[in-house]
Amino acid sequence: MKQHWRYLATVAVVALVAAACGGGGGTTGTETPSGGTPSGGIPAGGTLMLATPSDIQSGWDPAKEYEIIAWEVFRCCLTRTLYSYTGMGGPEDTAPMPDLATAMPEVSVDGMTYTVKIKPGIHFGPPFEDTEITADDFITAFGRVSSDVGSQGGYPFYFSVIKGFDDANGDPTKITGITAPDPHTLVFELTQPTADFPFRLTMPATAPIPAQAAEGHIKDYGRYLVSTGPYMWEGSENMDFSVPAEQQKPVAGYEPNRAWILVRNPSWVNERDTDTLRPAYVDRIEVAVGGTVEDLANKVDAGEIDFVYGATPPSTQLQKYLADPELKSRLHSEATGAIRYITMNLAIPPFDDIHVRRAVNYAVDKDGLRRARGGDLVGELAGHYIPDMLTGGLNQGLDPYASPNGQGDLNKAKEEMKQSKYDSNKDGICDDPVCDNILTITDKSFPYPEQNAILTDNLAKIGLKLDVKMGDRYTFMYANCQDPTKKAALCPSVGWGFDYADAGTYGEPLFGSVGIGSSNYSNLGASPADLAKWGYSVTDVASVDDMVAKCSPMPIGQDRVACWAEVDKYLVEEVAPWVVWLFDNNVVITGPRVINWTFDASAGIESLDHIALEGGGA
Amino acid sequence: MFGIVAIVVVLLLAVFAGLISQLVGHGPNEVFLRQMTNEVGLPKGPNAHFWFGADLAGRDLFVRVLYGARVSLLVAFVATGISVVVGVTLGLAAGFYRGKVDTVISRMTDVVMTLPVLLLAIGLVSACGSSQQGCLGGTLKPGVRLVIVVIGLFSWPYIARIVRGQVLSLREKEFIEASRALGSGNMRIMAREILPNLVAPIVVYTTLIIPNNILFEAALSFLGLGVPATTPSWGVMLSDAGTVFTVAWWMMLFPGLFLFVTTLGFNLVGDGLRDALDPRTGR
Repeated sequence: MKQHWRYLATVAVVALVAAACGGGGGTTGTETPSGGTPSGGIPAGGTLMLATPSDIQSGWDPAKEYEIIAWEVFRCCLTRTLYSYTGMGGPEDTAPMPDLATAMPEVSVDGMTYTVKIKPGIHFGPPFEDTEITADDFITAFGRVSSDVGSQGGYPFYFSVIKGFDDANGDPTKITGITAPDPHTLVFELTQPTADFPFRLTMPATAPIPAQAAEGHIKDYGRYLVSTGPYMWEGSENMDFSVPAEQQKPVAGYEPNRAWILVRNPSWVNERDTDTLRPAYVDRIEVAVGGTVEDLANKVDAGEIDFVYGATPPSTQLQKYLADPELKSRLHSEATGAIRYITMNLAIPPFDDIHVRRAVNYAVDKDGLRRARGGDLVGELAGHYIPDMLTGGLNQGLDPYASPNGQGDLNKAKEEMKQSKYDSNKDGICDDPVCDNILTITDKSFPYPEQNAILTDNLAKIGLKLDVKMGDRYTFMYANCQDPTKKAALCPSVGWGFDYADAGTYGEPLFGSVGIGSSNYSNLGASPADLAKWGYSVTDVASVDDMVAKCSPMPIGQDRVACWAEVDKYLVEEVAPWVVWLFDNNVVITGPRVINWTFDASAGIESLDHIALEGGGA
Repeated sequence: MFGIVAIVVVLLLAVFAGLISQLVGHGPNEVFLRQMTNEVGLPKGPNAHFWFGADLAGRDLFVRVLYGARVSLLVAFVATGISVVVGVTLGLAAGFYRGKVDTVISRMTDVVMTLPVLLLAIGLVSACGSSQQGCLGGTLKPGVRLVIVVIGLFSWPYIARIVRGQVLSLREKEFIEASRALGSGNMRIMAREILPNLVAPIVVYTTLIIPNNILFEAALSFLGLGVPATTPSWGVMLSDAGTVFTVAWWMMLFPGLFLFVTTLGFNLVGDGLRDALDPRTGR
């Protein structure tokens, strides 16, 4: 949190100096550039020029997209939800604020009923600019999320607490737990008390959708997305939902694997007083898709783009900017609340032995992994699983496998290995045949090949020989790490960020058995029957389902935080299913035009609706 | 002479890579992060202990270049062997039997020769390399074997054509008639009479195919589709160098130099053998 305030202060000073010294031309705080209203001396207007190395995965369908880079664009720009975030960074940025709702929900005494009032008179973007957003539009959205097809790859499990949701499979009328007594009131009835339910209503999947727009687009709504935010896809006004779905043309502003082009949503401009969260300074956002990280870095250096979205700068660029005092101010690094870690499959020998897992924790050169990624800037070395910002700092400093400078401790690793059943001669080297050809599934892009080399070297010293397979992150790595039948023993290229600022977004999906098959790569909590079904010889693995079940329903507050901190401590000390090595930072190098740099702590990435351009981009 | 010397030196370095690695004290996959990378993970250049500098993971580039010679030569020789066996067999059959057999084999040769080899190789390696199980029921799995098979599959037409042409000429010779008159069957004639007379052109063109296959493997590895990235390979090293060569020139220079010298050596030897053995050059 402290880091956020330092950056805000720095950004504020930079913004003020930039405004005072602003070059020839360009607007100042007293002018009114096109499409915007100046705010506090920050000029509005211009086109934010960005680039990103690869496209998002699910075609911008808000029910499917489950990545930070997509969620930020939804939050800042395309979709308003009942609740959302300021995008400002700082402690208040991680608490949900009313967006389309008039106020925080009324909660029944038993915690099972949430009543939300919707702001009247707010309209969708073109081509539904005459359609007011009402309660039924939210129900349409939940209907899509309840569909196996509509939410494939997404996060429907967050809404299983709503009565009838799990049985609806795409039919909103079957979600008996959501009712609309009037067009501006929504009532949610839950199956159990869920203290973080307002957080779940910030998620993009819950954004309202006109029923006519959703019809026929259960698989591909993203290309026909109707905006409710400050921006819309370019060409949205040309979408024609009066013809059958198969005859409709997708919106022009999203060209898969080529470009994302966002323009101002005139409905939002007319009703901008209803949105207290988004200043939306720039008029237009253009994101070119494709190119290597190095190519895109060169474009930033040349001033062709304002920054690279969703990718860490290459080390060559980091070195240049760190070395030059004039350039250093354009280098931004903020803690994201995300982690990077290496998973061990508890159902595959030798990782079914706690001593082997602890030995691996001691052996890994965490500082080396960080160095390969870009050095100190990319984050703090981690010693426990749930970031301190989510556990109130209760586990701050917890690092049971600490080593000098985080470089690994071979002696301790060997001492731990000696206690393992896979070290027959107790020399600290794993000598069982299961220690050979350990299937290791990784991403092939930077910096994972280099990190694989480090990991291979580290673990070879305690007798663990890796059989590293590298491939595309989505079609290969996730496919093999998520599926327990693929029997990946190690998955070193993984990271996780919170879905909202609650430790439960770590606890349940990562450590609970509900997460097996999606994000629990260690198979924690797998039942003997499932292990047998998947073909494992190991019949029993550790589980923290009881602890997760205890923490999940607890009300927001110190007790809940302490509960999750206890889960974190127990896991890292007594189970050690992972090697966690980094509390991740978001590192970005901006071009000279960018001012009012703001970090969105709720998403863990730059805040596109708060960034402005010097002189309004003139 | 330069060609022979170059090949011998590279072969010796490849064969003794393990011993050299032990003498130097650096394994091919051993990481020296703190000595040989800076604070942002960029590698450091040549010095007294790391003669070729280090790569992005802080590994000794000199040792890796030597081990890379093993991979490149192994893949090239084995793949060439496959293509020679297939090419000689098909060329021999086409030239000897003529007629429909020749037609079928020749058209097959034409088809394979007109295929966009690199693109197809990329597609095949991608398809079979994208999952642990590989393809063809696990026959082709990601790794060195897949690369060898792919290269071998696309290299045989050249040998086949050469052999076919030679066989068409040889089968009309009197010694073939004589052998047939003595009661020799077709297989015996091909094996005992024709094949020995093909040794010279086979050796020449095999020597010329080897450098092509070395470059083919390097190209596939450069594109990330060849040998696993954990296996030292000149192509992989050149690919790794692509993003940092402006600050780490050694990562491109040394693997590139070895690749150049090796392929040049084989080309020179092949040219020399062709000049020495081809009667049409008038020697």
